[in-house]
Amino acid sequence: MLMPSPGRRSLIAIPAYNEAATIRDVVGRVRASLPECDLLVVNDGSGDDTAALLIDSGAIVAEHICNLGYSRAIQTAVLYAARAGYDRLITLDADGQHDPQQVQALLAQFDVEQLDVLIGSRYVVSRSYAGVPFGRRIGMQLFSRLVAVTAGRRIYDTTSGLKVIGRRAFEPLTQWHFIDFHAEALVYLMRLGFRVGEFPVTVVERRHGRSMYSTISLLKYPLKTLLMLLLGVIQADLTRKRAS
Amino acid sequence: MTPAGVIVGAVMGCLLLIWVINLIRNGRLYVGYGVIFVLGTLTAIVVLLAPRLLEAVTAASVALVPVPSIGVGAIAIMLFLLVYVFTQITILSNRVMHLTQELAIRGAQRQSRSHPEPGEPT
Repeated sequence: MLMPSPGRRSLIAIPAYNEAATIRDVVGRVRASLPECDLLVVNDGSGDDTAALLIDSGAIVAEHICNLGYSRAIQTAVLYAARAGYDRLITLDADGQHDPQQVQALLAQFDVEQLDVLIGSRYVVSRSYAGVPFGRRIGMQLFSRLVAVTAGRRIYDTTSGLKVIGRRAFEPLTQWHFIDFHAEALVYLMRLGFRVGEFPVTVVERRHGRSMYSTISLLKYPLKTLLMLLLGVIQADLTRKRAS
Repeated sequence: MTPAGVIVGAVMGCLLLIWVINLIRNGRLYVGYGVIFVLGTLTAIVVLLAPRLLEAVTAASVALVPVPSIGVGAIAIMLFLLVYVFTQITILSNRVMHLTQELAIRGAQRQSRSHPEPGEPT
């Protein structure tokens, strides 16, 4: 089994919004599985007991005084990781869908392939979206193909919350704005020349709380992501031109 | 609508589109607002450039609300003003967001210094 490179500082970041039902368990499992990694929970203005449950949990807590949304919570983690000099940032969902024990294999692959972003992918092996509700399946196929057309490489799981982000990618991810750090962020990074890969992982269905996607956001999300993806192509090309 | 009116309308639509897209790209207009303006403007341009569609829309709108044609100019001004107002809202909310993130990061840094995590250099 491949092992991650020793001596590289890693930060696990968990964005949490109203995750009182699962946060303690997720923090406990991360600390047990990855004792060598530091742990940051970004409490994104939760209105439930998430903040109280994080006291004495062993995690560093970045407290948003109001809800800023998923992408801004991730951006806070990226900013923190950049300032504290971490080499890698690993993002995990707070609902317990991701198994922290899979992170070691993800980190090893990240080091071997010398990537800038590695996505824990649910679909890279099967290359199909069987079992996904129809509306989401169409959206996933559309954005997966759009990434292939605009960035030259197909990414099968553009919406995964389990990612490893290398230090080199910290700066571009805080220089521009994204919706959910999904397809639009991947295209932006890939157009800038960053190396993005996928590694197979398994997830369990969420048992508590609600998904961050409401019915209305399922209509708005594709339009916003499509627009930002196209703007990401323009922005990345402009950035490259300015740099050269 | 006269051919000159169609050309003026289409040019104004294109200018609005370029302005809105540039504002979104620079982070000065939230993409959730911007996407409404982009879709609305694109639809208006398509209607303007398709004569039969324009006739049908004009007939329907006049049948519902008979307004003088100068009203179109007022609507255009309102649209540009609306983009400006949403831009100001976005700029303010961006400042609140940066402040919130900065406070969160500083709080986390304080915690990290007072309780070093395993693996962190002392």
